[in-house]
Amino acid sequence: MVVFDLSEWTWTAMGPALVLALTALALFVFDSINPRSTNRPVVAGIATVGSLASLGVAVWYVLAGVGHPDTGGAIDLFGGQLVVDQMALFFMIVVAVVTALVSIASYDYMRDHAYQAEYYSLMLLAATGMSVMAASNSLVTIFIALELASLPSYALVAILKDNKGSVEAGLKYFLIGALSSAIFVYGISLVYGATGHLQLEAIAANLDGEYNGLLGVGVLMLIAGFAFKTASVPFHFWAPEAYEGAPAPISAFLSSASKAAGFVIAFRVFTTAFPLETMTDFGVDWALAFIILAIVTMTVGNFAAATQNNVKRMLAYSSVGHAGYALIGLAALTVDGGELVLGAAMMHLLVYGFMNTGAFLFVALAEYWGVGRTFEDYNGLARQAPIACVALAIFMFSLAGIPPFGGFWSKYFLFTGALEAATVNPALLVVAAALVVNSALSLYYYSRLVKAVWIEDPVLERETLTQPAGLYAAIVAAAVVTVVILPGFGPVAELAYDAAAMLVG
Amino acid sequence: MVGAFEFAPAIALLPLAAFVVALLFGDYLPKKGAYAGILATAGSLALSLWMLVAVFGGEAYNEELYDWAIGEEITFHFGILIDPLSALMLVIVSLVALLVHVFSMGYMNDEGETGLRRYYAELGLFTFSMLAFVMADNLLMAFIFFELVGLCSYLLIGFWFRTRSAPSAAKKAFLVTRFGDYFFLLGVVAIGATFGTLSFAGDASFVDAAAGAIDAGETFHGFSAETWVTILGLLVLGGVIGKSAQFPLHTWLPDAMEGPTTVSALIHAATMVAAGVYLVARMFGFYALSPTALAIIAFVGAFTALFAATMGVVKDDIKQVLAYSTISQYGYMMLGLGVGGYVAGVFHLMNHAFFKALLFLGAGAVIILMHHEQDMWKMGGLKDKAPVTYYTFLAGALALAGIIPFSGFWSKDEILFDAIILGLEEPIFLVAYAMGLLAVFFTGFYTFRMVFLTFHGEPRTDAARDPHPLGWNVKAPLAVLGVLALVAGVANLAPVAKLTGVDIVFLEHWLDGEYGAVDGLLYSEYTATAGLETAYIAGSETITLIAAGVLALGLALGGAGLAYVLYNVPEPKAHTENLGQAREVLRSNYYQDEFQVWLATGVTLPLARAADRFDGSVIDGVVNGVSSVSLFGSGGMKRLQTGVVTNYAALIVLGFVALLVFFGVYGGWFV
Repeated sequence: MVVFDLSEWTWTAMGPALVLALTALALFVFDSINPRSTNRPVVAGIATVGSLASLGVAVWYVLAGVGHPDTGGAIDLFGGQLVVDQMALFFMIVVAVVTALVSIASYDYMRDHAYQAEYYSLMLLAATGMSVMAASNSLVTIFIALELASLPSYALVAILKDNKGSVEAGLKYFLIGALSSAIFVYGISLVYGATGHLQLEAIAANLDGEYNGLLGVGVLMLIAGFAFKTASVPFHFWAPEAYEGAPAPISAFLSSASKAAGFVIAFRVFTTAFPLETMTDFGVDWALAFIILAIVTMTVGNFAAATQNNVKRMLAYSSVGHAGYALIGLAALTVDGGELVLGAAMMHLLVYGFMNTGAFLFVALAEYWGVGRTFEDYNGLARQAPIACVALAIFMFSLAGIPPFGGFWSKYFLFTGALEAATVNPALLVVAAALVVNSALSLYYYSRLVKAVWIEDPVLERETLTQPAGLYAAIVAAAVVTVVILPGFGPVAELAYDAAAMLVG
Repeated sequence: MVGAFEFAPAIALLPLAAFVVALLFGDYLPKKGAYAGILATAGSLALSLWMLVAVFGGEAYNEELYDWAIGEEITFHFGILIDPLSALMLVIVSLVALLVHVFSMGYMNDEGETGLRRYYAELGLFTFSMLAFVMADNLLMAFIFFELVGLCSYLLIGFWFRTRSAPSAAKKAFLVTRFGDYFFLLGVVAIGATFGTLSFAGDASFVDAAAGAIDAGETFHGFSAETWVTILGLLVLGGVIGKSAQFPLHTWLPDAMEGPTTVSALIHAATMVAAGVYLVARMFGFYALSPTALAIIAFVGAFTALFAATMGVVKDDIKQVLAYSTISQYGYMMLGLGVGGYVAGVFHLMNHAFFKALLFLGAGAVIILMHHEQDMWKMGGLKDKAPVTYYTFLAGALALAGIIPFSGFWSKDEILFDAIILGLEEPIFLVAYAMGLLAVFFTGFYTFRMVFLTFHGEPRTDAARDPHPLGWNVKAPLAVLGVLALVAGVANLAPVAKLTGVDIVFLEHWLDGEYGAVDGLLYSEYTATAGLETAYIAGSETITLIAAGVLALGLALGGAGLAYVLYNVPEPKAHTENLGQAREVLRSNYYQDEFQVWLATGVTLPLARAADRFDGSVIDGVVNGVSSVSLFGSGGMKRLQTGVVTNYAALIVLGFVALLVFFGVYGGWFV
């Protein structure tokens, strides 16, 4: 592999994020030269090329071993404010992949929209924020990156300005987001108060047990902030509304990339700044908090999804449920290790990035066709659009965790990881049981959708459905990856485990 | 160096390729894929002969090729074991398969059958499964291909699936053998779980592990190692009894005659039925550890030999007679193996493969001659019209009846000799010997009843007066097998060797590793492990030998002679009436079918109904309850989402405060 010497140009390690930022700026430039341009091929093309370039750089860095212990380990930037290690690159890949899929799909979905360049540049700015979140290594950079990701998201949710639902969803999202950010930044201040530091390693080095109560409250508030970003219960209330009201590609973007970014900072903060052993001694057993959050989140998400009539809302709740699965990665961290389960959570987020994005993009396709929003409206779609419906079946079964799709394997590793950790902490048996029960329940509502499109007869006669190239390309690509990730799981798993081991070890 | 054994996988893979070719392109090939099958099996035969030569040259092969599941305790792999036994069996199987393929051109193609693409594809898969089973180096692989063999039998027995009887017979064969295989599977799992290995040979074989456990006096699950080995051996034996159609799981085999006669030849001579006995021979070292298991094998075999022979006496359908003779002959092999006569059992397996394939193909030829009539009472006088068929069939019949010097005599004599010398030491085995001996008489009788009814006398129908002509592709396989039925006995002329002192027991040397061999798989080692004591009449081996041989031959001739008297007349009559009530019992096969149907409907069905009721009420009730509760809970969860953003803010704050209070108290932050 190409070994890339970054010693002189360490800032280039942030390449994937920088590419996204530059793309957003390029879109601004294009828009300022051509205001109100609706030249969709150009703007969507710039966004797609930019996100693919970001993906390419991130993959190249991974292959070249940037941030790998063999090539000098994690790269610290700006005095440890940012760090580029394998986990950062891993999540940069997730963000870039989702951004690319969504950009391609948006080409068709946003066809009659007035604010083309704005839409894409906001999306890429949000993606930049998420990409930076992956590398943030200080509570300050985390907060800034988080806001950079959040603020454009609010606008994106509300971008269908003459659609009541979209605007309402945007406002609700913004209000809840503001509340959560307030709690989060308050938590940061309390942690600073207890330790005197914001940089994560420095916090870990200055945990002296003097202000345990202060620290504990601060940590809980940080958890609240992450829970908001990852749509975990009880900070999930924005998610069903926002996902339902937002344009479907944006729902895909938020539920996949934004969630992944929320998880990466949670992983980094809790493994780096608050070592479990020390924190347990201080009476701040954050793993227990994540155990509770994981169980509650899975259960609420899946149970609420079970009887939804609206497909998009069902997917929104399923996304809450999947946040619960990924939380196992933190819940199952134990004093003596846990890189396996953390790696499994990372893999789950990667697979989820494909299958969930694909599922929301199918909804985008349905909205593009104008077939309606409920399960019944989807009845019999397979007769007119078999390819897309095969892809949908793949997404649904993978989300439910049916072999041989990617979703099965990541869930399986989460399950075995939780069981392994249960030898140390029996509470994880409950988590593992909840995972199984909820997965079983989830099959019910996922297969309902498959049944609707494949087995049921259409309620109304439909006209011939068009095949928008962009949406189809994105959906098929996501479906293909959901399937072929299985043989490719070896290297992916290795990368995830390496990344997790670096963090935990 | 590229040795012969590098090509061993190809022996099995060639027929597999033929299967694929016939399946995909059969309709476009000349003879619908027959040539593909012939080429493949000829290739397999050539390679098998090469293996035989290589083993003859003092080599053997025991190699793990591919691990397909790697665990901490046990690893499952595919591997190949070529030792004298499997090399011999490979030749037998591929030879019979080749001849069956050739014969099929006459029996199936020339007779204008439809569905030939399917026929040749299934034949290829069948051959592949059996060859792979034969060369399996571990029990699990053997089990996998054992099952595939069963599947292929099912497909081929039900080849004429549009008739009523064929699918039913196929199902019966499948289910009855499955019943036995269920125990086999349990045995495989238990052996794997007990010893952590499933290999037949080598340092890490379960046979060695079992021997070690017995020596060390270990106990498993509260049983002594020896008892446990017996239990394991008997579990595996379940599969053998099913496949080799031993009592009480023999009922499928006569029905299996619904398949094409060529298929019957393959099933009976070299594949399906042979698989069971081959498995016992393959893991004979394991059975040798358990005298109890051996005794059970011997008694099952002896009883089956007699039991099936008596039923063969009253059958009118030529294929039915042969079917019961198959059951009976496999009983002999089991008897031979059970009394420690490993060489004798394998010897009979080989001879039987040749003469039974011959008899079935001969019966197939008769059926062609008779325009697809199978009732022997409608035949007669075919002797002069089809001399090739007659003389080859006669050779097969002489071998089956055990008339000197045909091959069957030598192997059956050896089995009975091994039984009597063991019985003289341990009298209980004399019962088994007596059953085997008595069966000789019946065998001679029904065999020659069949020959006389079919070929001798006057033609009794128009079809028999004007038989359908036969092609070379029918006659050539018959000729090859006819010669083998005559001369195959030369492989192991043990009685002659003992009487004259000339060393002509080739097969014994062959199986005893005189040439190539794999450690632990030798006749002498088995004998040493089993440690069976033997005795002779008047202390003299020669006297015993002559007495046993003369007795068996005399009975065979007696049976044949009785048949001659009764049936070798121009207009034979049915004499079964004279049997009185016994006739009905025999015709109804001792009511075994009825008994098994009663078992299914009278015992299993009520049990299944009860289980179904439990499933319907308790299990489904719980499941439905869970789903109602889930859906109800789902409604509650949905109501949390009111759509009012101030409610959300309140819930978030409340949720956060609840967490804060819980952890504050739990972690003691407020103290």
